Amino acid sequence: MTRRERLLLFLAVMGPGIITANIDNDASGITTYSVAGARFGYSLLWTLVPTTVALVIIQEMVARMGVITGKGLSDLIRENYGVKTAFYMMLGLLVANFGNTVANFAGWAASMEILGLSKYIMVPLGALSIWFLVTKGSYRFVERILLFACLVYFGYVISGLMTKPDWHEVFRNTLIPRMRWNSEYIILSIGIIGTTITPWMQFYLQSSIAEKGIKKEDYHASKLDVIIGCSITDIISFFIIVTCGALLFPKGIMINNASEAALALKPLAGDYAYMIFAFCLANAAILGAIIVPLATAYYICEAMGWEAGVNKSFKEAPQFMWIYTLTIVLASLVVLIPGAPLVFLMVLSAIINGLLLPFVLVYATMLINDKKLMGEHVNPRSYNYISWGTVIVVALLTIFFVIVSIFPNVNAL
Amino acid sequence: MALYGELFLSEILRKSVFDPKGEVLGKVKDIIVVKGEPLPKVSSIIIERKNKLYQIKWEEVNIFNKRIISTYLNSSFIVPYQPAEEDLLAVRDILDKQIVDANGAKVVRVNDIKMEGYNKDAVLIGVDVGMRGILRRLGIEHGGERFIKLFQSQLPHNLISWNYIQPLKPELKAITLTVPRQMVSELHPADIAEIISQVSREEGAHLFKDLDIETAAEALSELKPEKQAEIIDAIDTEKAADIIEEMPPDEAADVLSDLPKEKAKEILEHIEKEEAEDIQELLGHEEDTAGGLMTNVFIAYPPDITVSEAVERFRKDAADNENVYYIYSVDGQERLVGATSLRDLLLAEPAAKLSEIMKTKLKTVTPDADEMVVAKIISKYNLVALPVIDAEGSLLGIVTVDDIIDRILPPAAKRKSRKV
Repeated sequence: MTRRERLLLFLAVMGPGIITANIDNDASGITTYSVAGARFGYSLLWTLVPTTVALVIIQEMVARMGVITGKGLSDLIRENYGVKTAFYMMLGLLVANFGNTVANFAGWAASMEILGLSKYIMVPLGALSIWFLVTKGSYRFVERILLFACLVYFGYVISGLMTKPDWHEVFRNTLIPRMRWNSEYIILSIGIIGTTITPWMQFYLQSSIAEKGIKKEDYHASKLDVIIGCSITDIISFFIIVTCGALLFPKGIMINNASEAALALKPLAGDYAYMIFAFCLANAAILGAIIVPLATAYYICEAMGWEAGVNKSFKEAPQFMWIYTLTIVLASLVVLIPGAPLVFLMVLSAIINGLLLPFVLVYATMLINDKKLMGEHVNPRSYNYISWGTVIVVALLTIFFVIVSIFPNVNAL
Repeated sequence: MALYGELFLSEILRKSVFDPKGEVLGKVKDIIVVKGEPLPKVSSIIIERKNKLYQIKWEEVNIFNKRIISTYLNSSFIVPYQPAEEDLLAVRDILDKQIVDANGAKVVRVNDIKMEGYNKDAVLIGVDVGMRGILRRLGIEHGGERFIKLFQSQLPHNLISWNYIQPLKPELKAITLTVPRQMVSELHPADIAEIISQVSREEGAHLFKDLDIETAAEALSELKPEKQAEIIDAIDTEKAADIIEEMPPDEAADVLSDLPKEKAKEILEHIEKEEAEDIQELLGHEEDTAGGLMTNVFIAYPPDITVSEAVERFRKDAADNENVYYIYSVDGQERLVGATSLRDLLLAEPAAKLSEIMKTKLKTVTPDADEMVVAKIISKYNLVALPVIDAEGSLLGIVTVDDIIDRILPPAAKRKSRKV
């Protein structure tokens, strides 16, 4: 193969990995990184390196399953582990993703307020536009919007560069791991893993690869797509932490979410950096609000064997359309109604995500080692140690995170 | 021993199996299904006992209903299950898998399997693909029924009868139950395309292989380009060539242009020379231009023949040409000079010459015209087909209205997936 042919092949296959990885940095991810930067400066940067490695290992397995079986992860779980497993997993995914959608609408509302627009206008407007865009818009149009939205993420790189961080410090903290035995530090570092490796993105990646019909022979290009995508995600996370670490941490400014970070940046970084920060948050939030409800509705219907498709009517695909519509409507209502249990829902979603992830990862690793499904493409034995190791470590950390979220008073350390 | 009445597979799974003394032998894990007349029947029950699998033949089963399952055998007589290639296991191979519902022309999932007593056998009468099946598997069918009654409504029974399903073949792993050949072939090609677009590549190719050439060609042209390439790539060159040959040249060119170069070349070599040349000519054009959309199969006669002569020739020429709406007239240099609609042709005096009745002020486009321009012209002048001519005025081909509608309003199976 000539170099040009190889490049063309890559361009044809690329997409699922890069898009999945980008959407992974949704409103709750950005919040975690901002808080981590403001609270601990650059000292959490090193966690991004092992997180990226774990992300690549897991996404690669899922992508390989998509290419070889041509089926989504929810299909495979249903077909191999039965309706009960699939049902409870989908129920968990529904609740967790409802929380994710709420978080994204909340991020959208907060960033609109920062930019001086009322959330009572912008949230319903955002919800309506998403619904119409997806159900009535042409595919080309949606795809263009998504690709553009993925580019906007680089705004974080710009704002990070604008803060002129001390690069020597930044790289030292990235490359040399340093543990601090402080419970908040540990929880935040697990939080970074938890928002980076989520259950729903495994389903999303595998389905979009299966859907794209990538062939076994082209798998190496798909692998590259996954590796590039995972690296981009964490480069964005890196710059968010750097921005907040460079400006907010030295002043000791405490923040609780990404929009507070944007506001706090205003007097320190000047108008542009804070505007970019707020604009990027709005972008990430709306992108998450487009994909998460849609993806949820698809996987649930696939697993349960219900008719699915955005261009179908409520009569043709009732379950699909109702799940999709209600997720958007209820999530935006929760954000708008004063006194609605917003924080409770987000914590609940994080907990369910954390509970779900070990199952998803264990099932995925079991499936990829199933000779009947994967044939010669099962994990090689040596690689299996690495993937089981990663899966077990990530699973244990998220379970730990769940315990700490449920009992915040238990100070294990 | 016979089964009286009917029961669902989920009702006996994980049920204890008793020996004559009333001791538990193990729990039901699966059942082996074999071909039977008129319906497939249960040939053995597989039970799990201390993490090992044992096989109990149907003849050795004493009582078989949803409350009690027992055998004549003592624990020392049961034989371990030796998995065989040709065994079809209901749980492993059918339950939870996707199947084609030939009546509804769609893909559904098997939530449960219904069995019934027939003579001395337990036969499989149908698969449950509805909500009831899911609730039953979750153990909450009655709760669900009561809940839905609150809304003055009823849980529907969504059973697909086994009669709509081909006799079982153990090697059918991909789509475990395929409907008989003729049933899929009887579906509209657009429905077949939609079914194929919903299953994985291998399952789609499997389904496709059973279609006759003509249906296959029609179904293929209803699929989106990537899927077309996938399917053609998965079937052998010989059959692929037959299918491509059956398609109109413009659609054949679309399919080939999405294939890897070598595969496309290989297929072209297997196609009759004349057809292959037509296709190759079209392959040179960009997909979203008039050249890419047009077909080079059209009917053109000299302007000086009579109407009756034209009708006579048309009868022969149009036999294997689906989309004919106009008879074009070209001069000695292949230049387009006029067109006669079929209506005008039939209404005209038989002795009149084509040149007397044909329209001469024609709307035309060049091959590089954008598809939207083509669409606008066709829409504005209410045309059924628009001629494409080169700089010298020679007629190269025609773009028909259904080609353009397919581009602007693609059918479901052709639309790009929206899983964004």
